[in-house]
Amino acid sequence: MAGNGNKGGLLSGNDLRAMFLQATDYFEQHKEIINDLNVFPVPDGDTGTNMVLTLQAASQELLDISSTLSIGEIARIAARSSLMGARGNSGVILSQLFQGIARGLAGKEEAGLPELGRAFQYGIVYAYNAVSRPVEGTILTVAREIAKGSRDAVQKSINIMELLDVAIESGKKALGRTPDLLPVLKEAGVVDAGGLGLIVFLEGCLKSLSSQSAGSSDAALLQEGGPGKTPPVKTNSAETSGEKINLEESFDSRFPYCTELIIKGDGLSTRLLRDHLQILGESLLLAGDEEAIKVHIHTANPGKVLETCLACGSIHDIKIDNMLDQFSKSRWSGNGEQTGKKEATEAGQTVPVPSTVEIGVIVVAAGSGFASIFSSMGADRVVSGGQSMNPPVKDIVDAIMEVNAERIIVLPNNSNVQFAAEQAAKLVDKEVSVIDAHSMPQGLAAITAFDRRKSLADNFVEMCLRARQVKTLEVTYATRDAQVSGIAVKKGDIIGLAEGVILFSGLSVDETVQKLLRAVIGKEEQIVTLFYGEEITENNASELAGKLVADHPDIEVELQYGGQPLYYYLISVE
Amino acid sequence: MAPVRIVTDSTAFLDKETIEKYNIVVVPLYVNFENEVILDGSIPNSEFFEKMKHSAKLPFTSQPSPGDFVKVFEKIIEEGSDIVTIVISSGISGTYDSAINAAKVVDAKRIAVVDSILTSGGLARLVTEAAEAAVQGKTKEEIVALVEDKKRRLRIFFVPDTLEYLKKGGRIGGAQALLGTLLKIKPVLYLNNGKVDSYDKVRTMKKALERIVDEIPPAKGPFPVILIHAEAPSTVKTLADMVQDRFPEAEITINELSPVIGTHTGPGVVGICFYAQ
Repeated sequence: MAGNGNKGGLLSGNDLRAMFLQATDYFEQHKEIINDLNVFPVPDGDTGTNMVLTLQAASQELLDISSTLSIGEIARIAARSSLMGARGNSGVILSQLFQGIARGLAGKEEAGLPELGRAFQYGIVYAYNAVSRPVEGTILTVAREIAKGSRDAVQKSINIMELLDVAIESGKKALGRTPDLLPVLKEAGVVDAGGLGLIVFLEGCLKSLSSQSAGSSDAALLQEGGPGKTPPVKTNSAETSGEKINLEESFDSRFPYCTELIIKGDGLSTRLLRDHLQILGESLLLAGDEEAIKVHIHTANPGKVLETCLACGSIHDIKIDNMLDQFSKSRWSGNGEQTGKKEATEAGQTVPVPSTVEIGVIVVAAGSGFASIFSSMGADRVVSGGQSMNPPVKDIVDAIMEVNAERIIVLPNNSNVQFAAEQAAKLVDKEVSVIDAHSMPQGLAAITAFDRRKSLADNFVEMCLRARQVKTLEVTYATRDAQVSGIAVKKGDIIGLAEGVILFSGLSVDETVQKLLRAVIGKEEQIVTLFYGEEITENNASELAGKLVADHPDIEVELQYGGQPLYYYLISVE
Repeated sequence: MAPVRIVTDSTAFLDKETIEKYNIVVVPLYVNFENEVILDGSIPNSEFFEKMKHSAKLPFTSQPSPGDFVKVFEKIIEEGSDIVTIVISSGISGTYDSAINAAKVVDAKRIAVVDSILTSGGLARLVTEAAEAAVQGKTKEEIVALVEDKKRRLRIFFVPDTLEYLKKGGRIGGAQALLGTLLKIKPVLYLNNGKVDSYDKVRTMKKALERIVDEIPPAKGPFPVILIHAEAPSTVKTLADMVQDRFPEAEITINELSPVIGTHTGPGVVGICFYAQ
């Protein structure tokens, strides 16, 4: 058996196992450095914590198994268990990397340089495939550069430790470039947190191989001029967590017009329509039957889309948005715009199902109040988000399996749960649609439109649309000092966010709610639903509700117990 | 004398002019308060809903007896006309059964009974069109064919202020699923093949109104839109403005609900009725 000290030969299953276990511990020790890179100082969904929980899920498995297994088998177990335990978007991507590496090592007893190099290449392919819309300047960029660097290194035939060295160096270079690739990082003066996480993991692996005890030199690894040295937050504005923006809010700027409409007519065919529309853009989504088809597409030429649709029948409810406007306004208009390619394909290809088929709904929610509300609105299972509001993939998979329906709708209700939900969808042999609902208010708006008698595709389209029609306000506290959107935020301050953007800081909870509502209520708004969290008493909440009624006499105000942790109030405005 | 006379029930809530113009006979349903039975439509609606508000128990409603129809049918047959009877949906009332049984007793060959699968403004529209056809000299069979065709194309959507009344009256049908939501919702309901069913649910009355206006198909030239309500004059006015803004050519009429229907929907309900194409 090759020992840890083996610097040039073959890596055994046990070597990989030991490496993984030690790298997990190493990661745990450094997770706060990664957490500090979250662009946004809100107390949930920390990248470092999510990644370490993902790694620990795999380590738990690896601790329980025999050390004599092949490297292929160890890699398979690590990949599978990290996937099931994956939390947050960065955790899901990390687990996909392992998935690819396991694929590269499949069937191998031991692995040398060429095998490891190839496994890295597989890893990067899997990671890219996990993301419906890969964006540069994220963990993906770092992973790709690591794969590229190690491929070149393999050709120069060096040993495994040197290979890891090269991989880490390539990763650090790429990490240093992430702010140039992703403006939101640059504004906040940080590098990508997920990317750093990947490098920390590799450093842990290297530590393990070189048999050095994880001691005094650890900090040096991160601090000696590496990109990790970049201060967590400088003074620029940053509108949201890098993770959120990076992976979910982008779109292809070649197709800036999000165009939606309904075609009505006789003998309509989604298949024919698809052929005609496909060439006009991306994220095409068609749902309907012979008499009516809902169309959603991102295009450069909305006129052409309308013309094409007009040739098939009459057109209705036409809506064209320039997503560039939305993007510059950042998260203001919500994330719903963006529909992952996976669902687009799925929903579009789904033949409307007979009305007798039942659909199950699974909701991720934090707080007992929210759980009851979602259940009363028709949710079959509520997966608790836990303190971080990010449940592991496995919990979502279990919920999907438990519900007695072949078609399932998942409401992630947190942008950082979206990927986990999409991964869960891939792991089951049920037909699953993940709705673009990135907050609990959005999820409630979506579930309001749910109709068990309609097809999965119709529900998907309608629920995604409804989710976008509410504004989400949040009141929580700052986890650290920051300067965001020109607002000085001090650790412990009460902060008020509208659609993910910090608008107010340093006021009382009630004042923050009142100011937020004054900022967002216009002519169109009709109802405010105030969900108070576990730290707020009912008396305080109804007192605040009374103030809001006085502030906005024309608006309906509804008070509900949400029971959510961390957030004093979550507010839905529609 | 007209070769065909039209008979309907009180839930159509026809105005006096229409009834007199076409010589239509209206058979009333009943509203039963604890100590008092009221013929549907026999007192002004405002008075009725005031009574309902002060009644400890919600009144229950009952269909006309076959005998009520027999009396009406016999008189018209004696006068020498055939009869087309168009009544409230059998999915929500037993009126159709009473009428059918009465027709068998009197003269099944000369009396046709049509289940409108509608009520209120939709039923009123059907009855008026049938009466117009009768004036033009159409036969009983021709009128039945016309009504059978039109009833399938008429749509009724409505938004009750609360689901409580439909639930208590046992007419909640497919909207059952909307009960018990912790979040306040405005249910958008419709008559689905003659029964109450849920169509959608939204958070506010304004959104609900937008939702039902969205259902009106665009038409070339003038087309009828019937708005219905019970004790909701300002909401129905808002709805009328929304329809007129969107469809300048819509010919809008506003019908109140008869007390019997109002008992089941509760006050505050608004609705809309139009042809699907």
